[in-house]
Amino acid sequence: MKEIQRRSIAMEMEENNDGDGRERTKSQSNRSSALKRFLPEFSAFQFLRESKIQSLSDFQFWLKIIRFKDAVLGKMFFHIVLERNMQLHPRHFGRDLREKLVSKLMKDVEGTCSGRHGFVVAITGIENVGKGLIRDGTGFVTFPVKYQCVVFRPFKGEILEAVVSMVNKMGFFAEAGPVQIFVSNHLIPDDMEFQSGDMPNYTTSDGSVKIQKDSEVRLKIIGTRVDATEIFCIGTIKDDFLGVISDPGTTS
Amino acid sequence: MRKSDDDDETSSLIERTKRRKISVLDGTEEPNGSTSHIDQIEVFEASVKEDICTHPGFIGGMCIKCGEKMDNQSGVAFGYIHKDLRLANDEISRLRDRDLKNLLRHKKLYLVLDLDHTLLNSTRMSDITQDEGYLMNPDDPMQDALKGNLFKLPFMNMVTKLRPFVHTFLKEASNLFEMYIYTMGERAYALEMANLLDPGRVYFDSRIIAQGDCTQRHQKGLDVVLGQESAVLILDDTEQVWTKHKDNLISMERYHFFASSCKQFGYKSKSLSEMRSDESDTDGALATVLKVLKQVHSMFFDLELGENFAGRDARQMLRAVRSEVLKGCKIVFSRVFPSKFQAENHQLWMLAERLGATCSTEVDSSVTHVISTDMGTEKSRWAIQENKFLVEPRWLEAANFLWQRMPEERFPVKEVKVNH
Repeated sequence: MKEIQRRSIAMEMEENNDGDGRERTKSQSNRSSALKRFLPEFSAFQFLRESKIQSLSDFQFWLKIIRFKDAVLGKMFFHIVLERNMQLHPRHFGRDLREKLVSKLMKDVEGTCSGRHGFVVAITGIENVGKGLIRDGTGFVTFPVKYQCVVFRPFKGEILEAVVSMVNKMGFFAEAGPVQIFVSNHLIPDDMEFQSGDMPNYTTSDGSVKIQKDSEVRLKIIGTRVDATEIFCIGTIKDDFLGVISDPGTTS
Repeated sequence: MRKSDDDDETSSLIERTKRRKISVLDGTEEPNGSTSHIDQIEVFEASVKEDICTHPGFIGGMCIKCGEKMDNQSGVAFGYIHKDLRLANDEISRLRDRDLKNLLRHKKLYLVLDLDHTLLNSTRMSDITQDEGYLMNPDDPMQDALKGNLFKLPFMNMVTKLRPFVHTFLKEASNLFEMYIYTMGERAYALEMANLLDPGRVYFDSRIIAQGDCTQRHQKGLDVVLGQESAVLILDDTEQVWTKHKDNLISMERYHFFASSCKQFGYKSKSLSEMRSDESDTDGALATVLKVLKQVHSMFFDLELGENFAGRDARQMLRAVRSEVLKGCKIVFSRVFPSKFQAENHQLWMLAERLGATCSTEVDSSVTHVISTDMGTEKSRWAIQENKFLVEPRWLEAANFLWQRMPEERFPVKEVKVNH
């Protein structure tokens, strides 16, 4: 039932884009074909990794899809408004003041992490640039900038997909974008045993399911810790519907 | 799944308890027997509710089993697996047991390897002497022989020479042992060296322990190794760092390739690099030690003693192999120990006994060897008279490093010139 709902709403959104009466541009046709391809899988992690984002409007489009998808699977990405005071040297004043401000903002903020908001993935738009104030004694000008951005923050209880990066006798480490997750062997099903060797892995007794480097797994977050540069989580695959999605080498 | 079965059981038990509780409240008098029965079930229900996590370990302040944030400093830090990982002692024992069972199934033991002077020799680029200059010259004819063994690390300002036979050694040892690197150098250095020895990350993977991981200053310990002590063998050139685990240690002869290394240890002779030579490949220290390791391994997994490997102790096997070296020798020392020193406590005495010889302070007919530093002593003259072996102390050290009884003629006692 949910699948059908998803498809219909996504198709609606697609049609809305065309509703302006403009001719379908190349990027729009790319989007619709990509959308059709991704709907059945519908993994936010997957299509962020594979979608060919070529412009800001592209990203804004995918963002809407992500936000919609979050309502179905679980919150991971957020589109929020943040404010930051940007300092600018007078040499940049001139015609492109605003562009220079925006590019400096992007360089400073994209890729950083904060405890409250999580990992800033990308800035999608500038909402408002306030009046600049000249600082006493230096000549630098401070602009308060309000901007929209996509942040990535995993929460406890959330389910997400990750790629295994290292396996050892204590458990395995997996990565989902900027987040590193550790799943200890206490939280791996009891029927999976550690096999050492040149490709260490966890395998069931009949060998049917294997977790090794580059496997994709679906896991649940049970604890997060965010510091200035990275997010670290503890996860589990012991619950139902969690575990390996695909083995490395098979196309997904 | 087992877990869901348990859940069903407990939930049905809880349900039954609930029903009973309601019936008691209705006012019916129950005989004493069943009241206590209810109490028991109530207690059980309470304990089921409080499923306390044992907090087996912490990464970044979070428990790895329940995710709870705790500022915990107990247990041991395993910085080489992950920089913020700490494990509780119970968890370490549990992991060690489980891992041992796993390894024994694959017929493997644990081997801890030191880096400097054991598997390789490093020097700073600024310490390269003139005679060693040919090493830096890419056109020098010696470069072919050194290919694959000599590495320049400009970003670390170092040059490293791997010991001869090391690649074969690692390959063969990896079939019999799960290997660890344990060095007193810094982590960055350890990772670089591991990259040279093991570019495919096959032999060591993430098992590289550096100075920062030691729990005690200037001492190495097996507490940061996730393996049972009874199944670990250690290869190191320095004995002082392994005071807690002498039984697991196999002493290696130091590898001095560079001049700076010789100077550091006070040797005034020319180094191997200055003489444009090297340790023998097939006959050197690593080849000898590999034979010993194979011997201990085959003793451990000897099927004649039964299929249960779990109760065996590799340290005992090592002791047994070691005591074969000088079996049958009876040794008397002369002018080797300081005069007031208790002979039995001296290093060389204890070494001789470990190698299987018996030691004595007095000469008699059963004595086979006299170890002396001076030909003129009473015991030395007695040895020559009675046609016993008279050797210098280095004969004993050679037996220790080469794991066999060397021909005594090669270690004659030198004439000591008396200086007044």
